[in-house]
Amino acid sequence: MMDEYAIGLIVALIAIIITFVAAFREKNDIHRLIIADLAEVSALAVIALIATDLAEALIIPGLVVGISELMALSEIYLVREHLTHPVKNPFRIEVLDTAPAIIAVILVVYGIVLCGFTGGAVAGTGMVFYFMGKRPAERFALVETVSGYAWALWIVAFFIFMVVPEYWFFAVMLAGGAILAKVTAKMSLIGTMRGEKDV
Amino acid sequence: MNPELILGFIILLAGVAATAFPRERDYISRLIHVEIAATGLMLVMLAYNETIALLTFVAVTAIATIVLIRVIERGEPCD
Repeated sequence: MMDEYAIGLIVALIAIIITFVAAFREKNDIHRLIIADLAEVSALAVIALIATDLAEALIIPGLVVGISELMALSEIYLVREHLTHPVKNPFRIEVLDTAPAIIAVILVVYGIVLCGFTGGAVAGTGMVFYFMGKRPAERFALVETVSGYAWALWIVAFFIFMVVPEYWFFAVMLAGGAILAKVTAKMSLIGTMRGEKDV
Repeated sequence: MNPELILGFIILLAGVAATAFPRERDYISRLIHVEIAATGLMLVMLAYNETIALLTFVAVTAIATIVLIRVIERGEPCD
């Protein structure tokens, strides 16, 4: 009888082989982008099988690299095909008209509770949904101001660690809140990518 | 092996096969098939108690979907 890890490894390898066969046979560029996303999922399955803290430590950077790779490839595709002008008739997605306010509030509050990098990512996802759905005009001045103050707070927290280490808890809270605001601000910029022509 | 793990493997394989060889060569339906495979991976992570990886994967999958939708709605329609 094979153990759990061997069975899982065989399943994940079958998934990877199917993905790469499909990637070789595909000629259309957008289909290839979607298959690149699928390859990320099936490759993460191999790492998830390790089933310890090591798996989490390997999966999170893999996810970040994967999403930035996907964004870079899609940007290259759009520039190469001269598709950078604003879209003429965008999709009408009903969920993006009604849900963003509620989802944004839930995710931002949950992100604040989580704190730190993961909290910033969750809160940022909420703001991505909000900006995607509502298509606001220019709010970048405010977002950039908050981001700048957060960076300053982060540096202040580092100086507290160096100079007065006995106030470490205050510095940890300061750095956690600052990185939360910073990641949230950066990710909310992603949410405006569909919108106006100059973003 | 617990039920979540077995279900996760089955859904992962089904989603990968459906994305690789779709019945309708349509961008949106293929994107939804990728979500099926992602659901399988999430069940595998759930079975192994990888909480933070699961949370981050949910957030990143939402952003990846939005990035791909942006490409699809600007690109030319499928053949």
